[in-house]
Amino acid sequence: MKYPVTAGAARSGEDAAAVSKATSDIGASRTLWGDAWMRLKKNKLAIAAAIWIVFIILVAVTADLWVPAVLGDPNATAADMAAASRLPPSLEHPFGTDNLGRDVLSRVIYGARISLIVGVVATGISTAIGLVMGALAAYYGGVWDTLIMRLADIFLAFPYTLFVIAMIAVIGNGIQNVFIAIGILGWPQIARVFRSAILSVKENDYVDAARSMGASDVRIIARHIFPNSVASIVVYATMNIGGAILTESALSFLGMGVVPPDPSWGTLIQTGQQYLQTEPWLMILPGLAVLTTVLAFTLLGDGLRDALDVKMKDA
Amino acid sequence: MFDKFGGVTRRNFVKGGLAAGALTALAACGGNGGETTEGGEGAAPAVTENYFSYYLSEPAYIDPYNGQENQGMAVIFACFDGLLVWDYDTNEPVPLAAAELPTVSDDGLTYTFKLREGMTFHNGDPVDAASFKRGWERVASPTMATPSDIAYHLDPIAGKAEFAAGEATEISGLVAVDDLTFQVTLTAPMADFPAVCCHPALAPVPQAALDDPASFLEQPIGNGPFKLDEPWQHNQYILASKFENYYGEAPAIDGVYFSIQANPDTAFRGFQAGEIDFCNIPVGQIQDCVDQYGASEDGFTVTPGAQALTGTELSTYYLIPNLENEWLSKPEVRRALSLAINRDNIVNSLFEGFREGANSIMPLSIDDNEQNVWQYCKYDPEQATQILADAGINPADITVTLNYNSGGDHEDIMSSIQADFAAIGVNVQQQTQEWAAYLESLSDGSYDLGRLGWTADYPIQDNFLYPNFYSTASNNYNHYNNPDFDVKLLEARQIQDEEARRTAYREACAMVGDDMPVIPIMFYAHNYIGSERCAHFFYDAATIPHFESAELA
Amino acid sequence: MAKYIIKRVLQFIPVFLGVTLILFVLQNVVPGDPIKLIAGERQLDHQTEVTLRARHGFIETDAEGNPVYEVDESGEVVLDEEGYPQTIETPLWKRYVTYLTNLLQGDLGTSYQRGTEVTSIIFQKYPYTIQLALVAIVIEAIVGIGAGIVSAIKRYSFWDILVTLVTSLMVAMPAFWFGMLLQLFFGIFLKDVTGGALSLPISGVAGPVSTYPAWMYYIMPAITLAAVSTAYSARIMRSQLLDVMNQDYIRTARAKGLSRGAIIRKHALKNALIPVVTYIGMDFGAMLAGAILTETVFSWPGIGRETYLAISQRDWPIVMGSVTVIVVVVMVINLIVDVSYAFLDPRIRLGSSKNEG
Repeated sequence: MKYPVTAGAARSGEDAAAVSKATSDIGASRTLWGDAWMRLKKNKLAIAAAIWIVFIILVAVTADLWVPAVLGDPNATAADMAAASRLPPSLEHPFGTDNLGRDVLSRVIYGARISLIVGVVATGISTAIGLVMGALAAYYGGVWDTLIMRLADIFLAFPYTLFVIAMIAVIGNGIQNVFIAIGILGWPQIARVFRSAILSVKENDYVDAARSMGASDVRIIARHIFPNSVASIVVYATMNIGGAILTESALSFLGMGVVPPDPSWGTLIQTGQQYLQTEPWLMILPGLAVLTTVLAFTLLGDGLRDALDVKMKDA
Repeated sequence: MFDKFGGVTRRNFVKGGLAAGALTALAACGGNGGETTEGGEGAAPAVTENYFSYYLSEPAYIDPYNGQENQGMAVIFACFDGLLVWDYDTNEPVPLAAAELPTVSDDGLTYTFKLREGMTFHNGDPVDAASFKRGWERVASPTMATPSDIAYHLDPIAGKAEFAAGEATEISGLVAVDDLTFQVTLTAPMADFPAVCCHPALAPVPQAALDDPASFLEQPIGNGPFKLDEPWQHNQYILASKFENYYGEAPAIDGVYFSIQANPDTAFRGFQAGEIDFCNIPVGQIQDCVDQYGASEDGFTVTPGAQALTGTELSTYYLIPNLENEWLSKPEVRRALSLAINRDNIVNSLFEGFREGANSIMPLSIDDNEQNVWQYCKYDPEQATQILADAGINPADITVTLNYNSGGDHEDIMSSIQADFAAIGVNVQQQTQEWAAYLESLSDGSYDLGRLGWTADYPIQDNFLYPNFYSTASNNYNHYNNPDFDVKLLEARQIQDEEARRTAYREACAMVGDDMPVIPIMFYAHNYIGSERCAHFFYDAATIPHFESAELA
Repeated sequence: MAKYIIKRVLQFIPVFLGVTLILFVLQNVVPGDPIKLIAGERQLDHQTEVTLRARHGFIETDAEGNPVYEVDESGEVVLDEEGYPQTIETPLWKRYVTYLTNLLQGDLGTSYQRGTEVTSIIFQKYPYTIQLALVAIVIEAIVGIGAGIVSAIKRYSFWDILVTLVTSLMVAMPAFWFGMLLQLFFGIFLKDVTGGALSLPISGVAGPVSTYPAWMYYIMPAITLAAVSTAYSARIMRSQLLDVMNQDYIRTARAKGLSRGAIIRKHALKNALIPVVTYIGMDFGAMLAGAILTETVFSWPGIGRETYLAISQRDWPIVMGSVTVIVVVVMVINLIVDVSYAFLDPRIRLGSSKNEG
């Protein structure tokens, strides 16, 4: 039983130690997803969140096709910057222009790419490491378990934000490094979730049965244990993406984010904050992009949790 | 101006700094977590409304022996009086703790200072020639817990090198002839030496500085118009009060409250809320502040209704090309890149026209003469293209990275420069690093086109040329080496005649300007705001605040 | 119970060693030489640099603290590339052992940049972090639990929807963004509108010159610090209370004719509170680790900002010292929470659960 130590990592006790109470009957897994979809459809908030996420992803992915033509190159500065900079929102520039005369909506859209990549890749990295570590710990137990869980304790004992900052100091800033740092430091929570999930199904008869039939460890984990824990991992990872986006914005606020001139939402907020009183939209609009997107991931995570019947509680 | 917005003022003066009740108990466990620690000579005077509330970011040092940046220097200058001080009206040094300007020996090597009579330190010790020798030797001393970074100020003095190397117990060139006569001998003539003596770090210190260096570091004892009532509260505040036994004219304000803030934008919000009397204006709000609070007439002095300062500083923002880089080692490339940069575009948009595009390494306020202007330090993309074409260089072949430290508006400036380079067909990348890592890259030579700023220690031509371009100087990061320039500079230093000396420096400056070992971008300018209750508050071009003349309504 | 506590304390040791070891390794791979940084942009002369390296234990010294130079077979001092005598670098493990030995004697070392003792820096800064955490945790407990109860009892009412909405927004908001909006509203806008009658101080703590009573300086940073966790505790409280109210024994009590209010007060609340209180306790530990963003936005002189600044200045003694203190404090708080959890909820048996970790 442990809650995450910092607000940045996994954001709460509610999400942190999710334990799958999914049915232990593997045959049920197809109906599990089917049922879940039925339930999710009824959750209007979660559906709205999903639509918002899909919309943002579509816009970000297709940006190269239309944004430079319609709104302008996100990195091109105006020839006469003094005249073109910090214009209020208008038809031509729906989000106004920034201090170098660049179109802010165009930058917010390209920023979505970076923020989403950071969120998804960082979560992917921490989930991958977490799954392996959690599986090793739970399945083999003993020394493995002790070693891995103590390692997790060490990572969790570090003040999270400081640890990320120290990591960035070591590997330098830039988008790859940001998601590497966030990803590497996020694995212990996932490892714990997965470990608990495995422990709860490991002793089941069907696992014993599979083992007695000579199935290899990897096969047992992949075929029998993983599908039964996947629900909780999906829920956890969905929520984690929002957390990673927030961490990126905090790093950018401290000047340790992506390399200019590429925009991320965090750097846009950071630039906007100095104009907060005169051109508030420069900070508020990218801030709202972060807010709505993180909110969407949280709501979708909530919806998935209810739909998949993943009981989020302390193990 | 605590009730700037016309309402009830709720300024109360809390001595200590912690909440009542349970919180006080907690603070007690924190040792000096905010309680006032008295200096030992009676209670500090009660803090009144007549204290100047001044925004500071955390200084590096407030002990003069290592005064190296303007935040610490603000405190040092308020608390210590050196021999001379620079007069920005006449542009020459004038006596401060010295009774008059020094006399110079015929060979130009020996300077003799007569001190004022009856000066005392804040602890009552007399200020004598020995205290100056003590203070200056501390700057060069190898036995300080952390040796000073600014010992280079004393480089011209005879015996400094031996003392710093631990081979001598004193600097032979510094002699306390009697209580009030201080004699300085140089290794070679340097006609601008009196300007060096204006540096606030070259201050006298009492014996206490040697007896208890640890306390002196946190609560230095000076001879200036203000004294520190309690040790420096790191990242919180520094409190200085009027020194009652000051030899000069008593300041009009009762003291200075240096409010240390993490973030200048936060400090500005504090100013708007009436909590701070003087701070930076965030970039982007300079024009608004000028409109709302009025522009200072001379750009350096705050008076009610003319509170926004925009005077040009003695600081230059420049790019530093790695001279070992395949492309940047070619003078043609450096010249072309310099000509490609639209400096006016940067200063007009990012700095609302309140900074000036650089046309040389030094602002013309140092020496107002056309000869100082560098020919390639202007915006002329056609000429840039022509230069590259003449040299047979295809712009598209040039692969260079802009290396710089993140923060401090650099991202915006560099993005603009990147776009300017792209306009002549040169595509560059950007790479940001933390300050610490960036500094290491600079020293290692692992950079292409870096960024630095130079702020004058003393407002003389030599201080822009020698430290940056002399072959062995400490700030010459790209190891620019022009033997002709070195010779010219050393010659100029020795010329006693003012006009002849200036001319020689101009020639030296032009030699550098032809080589373009750095690409100047802009001159910094003040972006500061004072509150409505401040009057006669002078914030000079070297970013030193003059509290001694300030008044508060 | 005693056995459990001893076991947990023993578990501290490897965690603690692991944390400090990781930091030590980071120090060595991070770009930025701490000694060269002392001089900032200026370059240190060679002698000064050697003196500083010797003083801070980077190179081998003799008993008097003077640097020892490398000597070849013939007894000649070896010169480095620039012609200076070659100093001998102290290996990482040796410096780590020195650090641990000093730590056991309560010595956390001396700051590279300031030359002051790290213990005194921590004693100066940590109280502010503790104070802010205390105020924040009180806000979190009162507002979080209160809002959670209201929204559970009045399920699907206006208040429930409001709480759900606000808590969802809070957890999705960058904390520093929220802090700056607070400053704009309470510090500047309200000051303009009310003429200072209702405004709050923008930043810092009360010093000798203060515009406001000392307690007012805590309000905005504490709210910012508490915001996210308050939202979480409200959500946990709500879901726990709803959960408990569906349990059989509550239904039984209800069937016996006890009033709804009485049931909530006497039975449901007590059980539902346990996880929330645990969460808040853990969160208190997290707050004691310092809050870099809140402390930066509000210029709060706490340990988080101090450590962050120290990382950027490569002032490793301060980083090591404060992380050491933070880690110990957080582990102790978590232990206290775990132990009291066992007292509060007799169903939990410490040390026996397979899932304990």
